[in-house]
Amino acid sequence: MSKYSLRICHLYPDLLNLYGDRGNILAFTFRAGLRDIETEVVALSMGQPFEKDQYDIVFFGGGQDAEQNMVRRDLVSVKGPAVREAVEEGRVFLCICGGYQMMGHYYQEQNGNKIDCLGALDIYTEGKKDRFIGNTEYHCDLLVNDPVIYGFENHSGRTYLGDSVRPLAKVVSGKGNNGEDGTEGAVYKNVIASYSHGSLLPKNPELTDHILTLALGRKYGEDFVLEPADKTFEEIARKEMKSCKK
Amino acid sequence: MGSFRVGFAFVVAGGIRFSLRLLGKGATALPGKVAIKIAPRFIWEMADGRDIITITGTNGKTTTTHMISEILRNSGYYVATNVSGANLASGIATTFAQERRHIKRAKRKGLKLVYVLEIDEAAFAKVAGDLSPKVCVVTNLFRDQLDRFGELLYTRDCIEKGLDLTDAKILLNADDSMIAALRKNREARTLFYGVDEQSMTQNNVTNVAMAKALPASSDAEYCLSCKRKYDYGARSFGHFGTYSCETCGDSRQNPQISVYFDPSMSSSDPGLPLTFQGKGFSVEGVLPIPGSHNIYNAVSAFAACSTFGDIVGDSDLSPEHVALALSQVQPAFGRMEKIQVGDKSFCILLVKNPVGLDRALSMVASASDAGGIYLLLNSNIADGTDVSWIWDVDFESKTLPDQLYCSGERYADMLLRLVYSGAGTDRIRYAAMPEAFKMFEDALDACAPGKCLYILPNYTSMLALREFLVRKYRLKDFWR
Ligand SMILES: [Zn+2]
Repeated sequence: MSKYSLRICHLYPDLLNLYGDRGNILAFTFRAGLRDIETEVVALSMGQPFEKDQYDIVFFGGGQDAEQNMVRRDLVSVKGPAVREAVEEGRVFLCICGGYQMMGHYYQEQNGNKIDCLGALDIYTEGKKDRFIGNTEYHCDLLVNDPVIYGFENHSGRTYLGDSVRPLAKVVSGKGNNGEDGTEGAVYKNVIASYSHGSLLPKNPELTDHILTLALGRKYGEDFVLEPADKTFEEIARKEMKSCKK
Repeated sequence: MGSFRVGFAFVVAGGIRFSLRLLGKGATALPGKVAIKIAPRFIWEMADGRDIITITGTNGKTTTTHMISEILRNSGYYVATNVSGANLASGIATTFAQERRHIKRAKRKGLKLVYVLEIDEAAFAKVAGDLSPKVCVVTNLFRDQLDRFGELLYTRDCIEKGLDLTDAKILLNADDSMIAALRKNREARTLFYGVDEQSMTQNNVTNVAMAKALPASSDAEYCLSCKRKYDYGARSFGHFGTYSCETCGDSRQNPQISVYFDPSMSSSDPGLPLTFQGKGFSVEGVLPIPGSHNIYNAVSAFAACSTFGDIVGDSDLSPEHVALALSQVQPAFGRMEKIQVGDKSFCILLVKNPVGLDRALSMVASASDAGGIYLLLNSNIADGTDVSWIWDVDFESKTLPDQLYCSGERYADMLLRLVYSGAGTDRIRYAAMPEAFKMFEDALDACAPGKCLYILPNYTSMLALREFLVRKYRLKDFWR
């Protein structure tokens, strides 16, 4: 029996399963496993209540428009209050792309129509015609050993941050939140949100470890120390991203 | 040949094709492109009065086109077909630019001319009307390179638009809920093909616990009209199965033509016995190309040929004959053809999207002759620049051969994918693209006698590898 364990909630995996979001779950499991930390992944989908005390990490990814519309309705009407409470009490979330947008106040479609979202994060998003697509590089101060995040973005929404959230990172290359203010993603309490696919975590083990540390610290006490672990293969992938950058 | 413009276009296109061939270049798109430029209605005029079968859908187009072509060749037809990959309007026009040659050859051999055309889904909306095919086969709808197409529903709209510009018989995959929905308003000319419910298995996973917690990404778990989660009686793979929606009552339609096989037998080795069933017949055959996805390609090819036979009144295309001809189809290079090298072999399975890779891995995992897997990943525009889809594929639940190799311009991404699947780093060898061919030779050396090295490249990495293999083993290049 392992001394430590984490329960990971994967929100709507049967609807939001694009652009390798599944890789982020694998990254949690893999790098926790290197430290002999057990992980259990629980899928939570339409109509099922969100029991916030059950989960140490919540993962919320993105999908195609039709699927995201279904999810948004369920999120707001079924899971809404519990998710907002979980955020406020400092539970750990990773939200990518559509999941990131849906955590905000609203999503404004190109025709001006505003779609209400969860309002758990002080952000809003405006849909635009042209998409931001391509490899990205960001600088993230949360990651002390190696602040560079590599990803791939593919989104038409422009997200703007309110006063109560901080950006996750500064854009080095790519567009990030909106292509205007040089910010990428958002951080609020223990919620980390980003537009990066890639998948995001496998190529950014420092970020994986950071999120694992947040979750384990919350569960086992602030002084919990995550042992260092091998990242040879992650580094190979990072080196290639660095050299292929144009 | 109607207008002067078309005649002129025909001559110019033929000339370009001839010169390109002299230069040793593949002439698959340019002649057609020029022909359409000169005569925008080129395809329409050339296709007029011809017998045409079209194949569209996200996966399995090339293999299905190949199977249909081979069955018809075996049944007294001269088959004109577009070169695999040249499936846009330009490629189709190029095929018609050789029409005089086709007619002459067919006549000399006393064969009936038929066109069997693989068409890209987006192009289908534009060219289907010009072609007025007799039969339109729609294979399936799986997500492809999303940075190119955007959304699956857009892709389906393209197919729908194309279908409405024809009065062809429409052959739909009964087990794919998104494809089957195309029957609406076209009931009278729709026929369904599918896998017999008895033969459906769940996804062939060996590690059920992991697959349950982390399901491979599925493309259609919910009813499109009422957003209710489908109930499934049985499943083949992906979202294929006997789906039903409790809210609107939509459910899988009984296929008029179905294929039955023993689900306890492996479809990864050649020769799986198949029984094709339809109104008034039940005929035996074997699966000519391994892989559970090829069972679908086989039943759609069977359905296409027998339906075409019905339409043109050709008794040579009887169910018995079609099943026999299908059983004798040989795989094509790049599509499961095994190339023998000494006492071992290699074979290439092109993998372009999540379900393609999932099926290929699944096939190799249960192939009795698997002596290694060699994955190649590029991210050029033709591949889709985003490689994140490799994470959507369920590597975790499959027991892969001990020898794993990866290369390609994005070898590092594939390497990490393999490592995170829990494969164990001592089993994996990798090389950047410049050393890919050297590593292929090493991998083949390391392959045990009697075994096969399975190569799974995506599009442009396959082109590069193919060039090397054609040179090295003096293979006939089927792309030209
Ligand atoms: Zn329904």
